[in-house]
Amino acid sequence: MTMKIWKHFNRADLYECYQCARCTGSCPAMEVVEAFGPRETILKCLNLGHEQVVKDEKLWLCCTCNVCEDRCPQKIPISELLVALRNSAARRGNIPSRLAIAIELLAKTGRSMIVHQLDEMRAHHGLRPLPEMPVEEIRAILKKTGLDEVVEY
Amino acid sequence: MKEKTERTDESVLRNDLRIGVYVCHCGKNIGGTVRCHEVAEFANDLPGVILAKDSLYTCSEPGQEQIKADIREHKLNRVVVASCTPRLHEPTFRAACEAAGLNPYLLEMANIREHCSWVHLHDKDAATEKAKDLVGMAVNRAARLVPQVEVTVPVTRKALVIGGGVAGIQAALDMADAGYKVCLVERTGSIGGRMAQIDKTFPTMDCSICILAPKMSEVGRHPNIELLTLSEVKEVQGHIGNFKIKVLTKARYVTKECTSCGDCIQACPQLAPDEFNAGLSIRRAIYIPFAQAVPSTFLIDMNRCLNNQGIVACDRCFQACAHKCIDFADTDRTIELEVGTIVVATGVDVFDPTALTELGYGRFPNVITTLEFERLINAGGPSSGELIRPSDRKRPQKVAFLQCIGSRSKRSNPYCSNVCCMNTVKDALLIKEHWPDTEIYVFYIDIRAFGKGFEDLFQRSRREGVVFIRGIPGEIIEDINTGNLTLLGENTLLGSPYRYNMDMVILSVGIMPHKDAHVIQRMLNLSTDTDGFYMEAHPKLRPVDTTTGGVFLAGAAEGPKDIKDSVTQASAAASRANILMSKGEVKIPAITARIDPNKCTACGLCAKVCPYHAIEGSKEQGYYRVIEAACQGCGGCVPECHFGAIDQTHFTEEQIVGQIDHALATDAHNKIIAFACNWCSYAGADFAGVSRMQYPHNVRIIRTMCSARVSPKWIERAFSKGAGAVLVSGCHPADCHYNNANQNTARRVERFWKRMEKLGINKDRLRLAWVSAAEGAQFARVVSEMEEGLRKLTPQKIQEAAEKFKQAVIKKSDAP
Repeated sequence: MTMKIWKHFNRADLYECYQCARCTGSCPAMEVVEAFGPRETILKCLNLGHEQVVKDEKLWLCCTCNVCEDRCPQKIPISELLVALRNSAARRGNIPSRLAIAIELLAKTGRSMIVHQLDEMRAHHGLRPLPEMPVEEIRAILKKTGLDEVVEY
Repeated sequence: MKEKTERTDESVLRNDLRIGVYVCHCGKNIGGTVRCHEVAEFANDLPGVILAKDSLYTCSEPGQEQIKADIREHKLNRVVVASCTPRLHEPTFRAACEAAGLNPYLLEMANIREHCSWVHLHDKDAATEKAKDLVGMAVNRAARLVPQVEVTVPVTRKALVIGGGVAGIQAALDMADAGYKVCLVERTGSIGGRMAQIDKTFPTMDCSICILAPKMSEVGRHPNIELLTLSEVKEVQGHIGNFKIKVLTKARYVTKECTSCGDCIQACPQLAPDEFNAGLSIRRAIYIPFAQAVPSTFLIDMNRCLNNQGIVACDRCFQACAHKCIDFADTDRTIELEVGTIVVATGVDVFDPTALTELGYGRFPNVITTLEFERLINAGGPSSGELIRPSDRKRPQKVAFLQCIGSRSKRSNPYCSNVCCMNTVKDALLIKEHWPDTEIYVFYIDIRAFGKGFEDLFQRSRREGVVFIRGIPGEIIEDINTGNLTLLGENTLLGSPYRYNMDMVILSVGIMPHKDAHVIQRMLNLSTDTDGFYMEAHPKLRPVDTTTGGVFLAGAAEGPKDIKDSVTQASAAASRANILMSKGEVKIPAITARIDPNKCTACGLCAKVCPYHAIEGSKEQGYYRVIEAACQGCGGCVPECHFGAIDQTHFTEEQIVGQIDHALATDAHNKIIAFACNWCSYAGADFAGVSRMQYPHNVRIIRTMCSARVSPKWIERAFSKGAGAVLVSGCHPADCHYNNANQNTARRVERFWKRMEKLGINKDRLRLAWVSAAEGAQFARVVSEMEEGLRKLTPQKIQEAAEKFKQAVIKKSDAP
């Protein structure tokens, strides 16, 4: 099942881009992985089509900090583009395994991360054990967002 | 009632009408979409038309000759040309008519190019039908045209130049050299403008002030030029050939006897940032803007002087002055001028990059603008030409230029500022010339080296070792200890991120219309484009004229320009003004309002709405009358008269009603009648055509001079004839070409809406839209929206409404 991403993002906005690279220059993800950034994502969407873009796992490096959007001289809603692209990628099953595991954990335990001997560590520091998570409620939310169709749990 | 109207129609359509119709193919421009031959055949059968022809280019010499020959041979007494916008070729065809002995006011044009073929490129049938309608409307109007005689008014052989930058200087000199008196008004203490601040010019690397100073002093001593510095235009009255200007000249506090010896400077205790050096140095309260200033007279900045508001607390400068030319009693004066022509050369402001916080301008001392750099590297500047960093006054080893700061961005100015690329290339070469070991990096998006000698200069800079990196940094980080700057970004050509450490960053800032440009715009009734620059009368063929007669544009006030282009345009503007002044007279279009004294009841309502006080009279006198020389022909007074006593020449009630009636003779329910003012909305619709913006074909545009001419009676008539919708469009409020006459438009439309509400008619069917000459897209959008609204209406609804209006008309005519 794929999602028509241009329904969720106005493709015409991409034509405004003149590749000044202010976005990538401001991108914290660029510091992690070389040569990844919003500029390249936009250019690939325009020149190669978004089918190529959604295959790329680098897409998931965006932390939607919105700085690129703040500094974009053409006011392109870049974060919205990345969210739409990632939604599309997820529906095609192009979701990094570490994220899929986190979602699975969330659905099962109500937490996206398991820390070993957490309660012992907390007790050592004089903290109370963590409260029980409302797992059913979280599952309901996941279902509503459609994540249950993307990740099996 | 209906019978009566038709009878008047008959009486107007006299038997002796001999109308010739010419349908132009304009090559493929019209002929490619509209079947012109079919349109001509259609026109042949219209009442009063005795011949109709189609030709490839009616505006060509043979095309015009054909019209002239037909006028003589067939004794044509009206000519209808269906071609492009009358804003383009009306003068051409009027001249052709006149040459053949026909009064030029007996010509009518149907705009089947900008308003038809170009905007309905993909529907040949609809375009052809629309063209027929437009021709029919024009024929109907032509049948009601009457000969007019244009009044000739003298042109005062004196010009006003607003702005003393290089454009203003050039325009003033050109007109003065041609023998006309010129008054040059400059707001600051000296002429020279931006060019005086710049160190070198591109692409020739001439010393800017060295080539400007001789021109400045020529202005200062020219017998035909009256130079008013520290002055601002406060009021403009009158019209082409006869402008009355009020100029406020601020007190200088130093008399002309000043020899600019500079003794007073040493004496003055008060300090201020030096504007000429972009705030990089300090001046005194008494100062001269710069060494080469013209007039070379000092001035006192009263905001800084201790003697503000007449209290003399300090007279050190007075004591120091050997010639005693300091006059604390000096006051502001208002000077009145009478001029025939005006050249507007108000120039540009420089973009302030403080708002782009990621670049740190204003926070990091070593981030400066190109204008600041020009002063730094200038020998007369604050560092005597030494390139130093503001933080530690050391010479930077690594310098970065950032392009497109404040240009090509929706966050600042959307347009390309035209000069920054070459300015940076020049600046980079200047640094290389003086300090060849300096590393220079230019961060750019595109380098636009389009002019003569520009590419050569660009290449030279690359050969000298200037590094060009494609990709603007996203962020600049400052090292607090050293003041060094780190640039973070991506090299888009290598596809890799970069981190450059720089000693100094120069922001290549864009230019924008002067912050007070709108003051002059309002005073002279000019238009501005969406970027705020003054708009020319025609972008290609009248590039220095404005829509206000007798007012011309020079320099960057019209659009971003370098020095050469500014000077070229200034000479062009001067030459256009010289034509007017050398002729010494100008013909005023015969479109003024006229009052029938027999019908006038002296109520005085018309005089109240006249924006030019051109209607005089009184109750005692028993009638009002129009002063023809003062009337500008907006026609805003006509709808105000309850007694039908006023009419506008060449835009009479019956002429326009003739157009409405023909437009709605067939398929009225599906049509939109659009009234468009000549200066903004009609031009906006033309612009939509030139830009080939496609919009629904059921709109019929009727031109008036001002939207205020649109009478509620016309709207009523359109609806009672079954029109689907009516659009009234004019210039944006406060941009009206007739001194805000369009506030009457808004008032009348609002009243009509109330009436529609009362009658239970959907008031969305009457729309009021402000469309400027630059807003073709806006015009197309409004029409499309109206078309959408129209599709929601049923023919029954439209017919019901039409009946209601008919009833209202009958009721009114039954009333005594």
